[in-house]
Amino acid sequence: MADYPIPPEAEKQIPPEHKLTGKVARFLLKRYPIWPIIDHLAQKVVPVHKHTIWYNMGGIALFFLLVQIVTGLLLMVYYRPALPWASVQRIVMEISFGNIIRSIHHWSANLMVLFLFLHMFSAFFMKAYRPPREFTWLTGAALMGIVLLFCFSGYLLPWDALSFFATRVGISEIEKAPVIGMWLAGLVRGGPDVTIDTIGRFYVLHVTALPLAVLMLLGIHLFFIQIQGVSEPDSFAALPKEKKRYHKFFTEFMFGELPVWLFFSALLVALAAAFPRELAPEADPYASAPVGIKPEWYFLSQFQLLKLFPGEIEMVGMVLMALIPIGMLLVPFYDRSIPTDRRGKIATLFGIVVLTGMIIFTVWGYIS
Amino acid sequence: MNYPVWDIPFLGNGLVVAIIAIIHILISHLAIGGGAFLFIAEIWSNRQNNGPQIRDWLHKYATFFLVYTTVFGAVTGVGIWFAIQLANAEATSLLIHQFVFAWAIEWVMFLGELTTLYLYFYGWHKNSRSMQVFLAGAYFVIAWGSLFVINGILTFMLTPGAWNLDNTSIAAGFFNPGYVSSLFIRTLVMILLAGLFGIIMATRIKDDDNFKEKIINFSAKWVIPAAIIVPLLMLWYWSTLPANTIALIKSGATGLAGGKLEVITRYFWLALVSGVLIVFGTLFTIIRPKAATTIGAISLFLVAQFGVMGAEFFREMARKPYVIYGVLFSNGLWQYQTRDEQYMKADYLDKALWHPNIEPLGQQHGEWIFRLQCASCHTRDGYRSIISRTEQWTGDFGFRWLETMDQQGVMPPFQGSDQDRAALSSYLISLHGEQTSAQEILDQYRKAQADSISAAATDTIATEELK
Repeated sequence: MADYPIPPEAEKQIPPEHKLTGKVARFLLKRYPIWPIIDHLAQKVVPVHKHTIWYNMGGIALFFLLVQIVTGLLLMVYYRPALPWASVQRIVMEISFGNIIRSIHHWSANLMVLFLFLHMFSAFFMKAYRPPREFTWLTGAALMGIVLLFCFSGYLLPWDALSFFATRVGISEIEKAPVIGMWLAGLVRGGPDVTIDTIGRFYVLHVTALPLAVLMLLGIHLFFIQIQGVSEPDSFAALPKEKKRYHKFFTEFMFGELPVWLFFSALLVALAAAFPRELAPEADPYASAPVGIKPEWYFLSQFQLLKLFPGEIEMVGMVLMALIPIGMLLVPFYDRSIPTDRRGKIATLFGIVVLTGMIIFTVWGYIS
Repeated sequence: MNYPVWDIPFLGNGLVVAIIAIIHILISHLAIGGGAFLFIAEIWSNRQNNGPQIRDWLHKYATFFLVYTTVFGAVTGVGIWFAIQLANAEATSLLIHQFVFAWAIEWVMFLGELTTLYLYFYGWHKNSRSMQVFLAGAYFVIAWGSLFVINGILTFMLTPGAWNLDNTSIAAGFFNPGYVSSLFIRTLVMILLAGLFGIIMATRIKDDDNFKEKIINFSAKWVIPAAIIVPLLMLWYWSTLPANTIALIKSGATGLAGGKLEVITRYFWLALVSGVLIVFGTLFTIIRPKAATTIGAISLFLVAQFGVMGAEFFREMARKPYVIYGVLFSNGLWQYQTRDEQYMKADYLDKALWHPNIEPLGQQHGEWIFRLQCASCHTRDGYRSIISRTEQWTGDFGFRWLETMDQQGVMPPFQGSDQDRAALSSYLISLHGEQTSAQEILDQYRKAQADSISAAATDTIATEELK
């Protein structure tokens, strides 16, 4: 069977045949007709304007995801879901680098969530959800939800006092959902209470189901971005063509971002050195919960908000808590105009209220 | 104990010194390396066709260099002085008296640095080319001279070598075992930092990508010597460390990277990882110099800050529990005093000067023992928290543990009487909400001792009867 022909425009752009890179490029192109993909990727540009820095947030979150995958795989080598606490103790106390890998995994998870929030809100305020990018937004929102599930499921796995009671409190909130609450909580727990069966479910979720879901959704999310290009804010789009500046993503933008990834690598090691993740005593289901137990910071705003609606008005709080993410999710179908119109300004105001509220309630939850 | 206590909640006075010092070291090292950079860049510009363009860029380098090093360097440098006096007046006094002429030389060097740098910068458009080259070179030599001096004092604290209270020769203390390796390591790190700063300033070149590439390639070369030679010098430095320190670094369940990882080992790895990341980051910058951004370059510079953090924390922790190794403990106890059992067992608050009138075995007794003897290294619930370290304690356990705490290698011996130990143990467990008075702890101990003597006597009688 004949090789695939190399397109003339490819011949002009790839290195000459006598160079090693040229030989490799021709070897691949004769076997895989991928030049249209390579050419498309090579054309991918990132607009340069005063808000360009926000385009880095998604890449940084991706970096932390990669760290989670690598450190997670390493932890999986020694983690035993049948002996959760003992295996984590062994990782921390005996296994070479176990302590530092576990601490990096913990800090990377927190920073990943932080940068995902930054990515989500920067995309929101730059209105990157407007047509034709509605589904990029929706897949991104789904990814956010999956990452929070990652955090929730992973938190229990050490099976120490803190993680046990935090999970128990967290799942008890699920019980309050109308109609399906009790059933759903039972499904999540694997029974009436958090037990070793819960570990089994959370472990499968954390290392198999959620990684598959995130890889699939991330692939789709990035595919949409490759096809449609990076969105441009109104102020940049309004500029005359000759005043618009762009960086090529491959390799200009990418190489510019790599040192930032190195900084975050060093930051992770610094955090692991200065603030290693502690392992509390093993969970005792018959003990009482530690006084003042709270969820991690990324759930703290919801936790604090619900405290404002105790007893009979609890349902009001739950409805409000559900409306906020639904509102964020459906914003592409409400604010569709380019440039921004009145609906766009209302959407921006909504985002400011949500972001401000999240910050206030998180701080309030932390100090109370 | 001879000085008032600087009790900083949560952070602790030592960590306040550390935070200021870590920032200062990055600045001061750049201040010296940058001098070499200016000198070499001046000479280089004279040999390039676009010399005036290079010097225009160099002026921007010098502007930010001047502001960053002189302003922030001075603020943090003086900040260190303020902080160390308050944190450990005893050690500061020893260093001042021991190396008074070294300090004097140091400050002459600082004066010389500032003078030459201001002459160089403010004479930019007036001085001749040769004068500029001379001033840049003079600045670097003088600045490096300040390293020459401070390096002796810093390394003395960890490896005093032949120096001791009977042999207070300045040369013995100054040119101590760790001096030379540390001097070379710091010099190379300074050169590296100068290169990273050059890359930052190169990213500010807009609209001339070829020139940007040229400057980045020039600056990136400054990373190479450290990348190749510092790992080798670290082996040399390692060989000068005290045996106890090496054992501490290796401690943890398994070898050098044992799972548990003592804090000193973690900071060692931070320094190592940061160094590797800087090399990779510089390589990326060399591969695509036109793609370098200011944020990326600053990120790399901040990686160097983490490296400094790791290396300096490592160096400081390697001294535990001393502030001057083998001579003076961090809490003001002198090594020679530990040989006098009578002194060690005497009532502590009679020896320590700065405390109010305390009722023996009362509530405040233990608290003041903590503040005067422990707070130099431990906070209650923050850095090196004493609460988390005594979580499982009972009053009796604490009382007994304090007697032999120096045997685990990172703690000084306890100074004080049985009453002092009982008071401290009572205070420490009170931080967990347990209320066992010092008197109860003391009574428990004495009863146990009496029971033990009685049991031994009974055994002796029984043995005799059997015979």
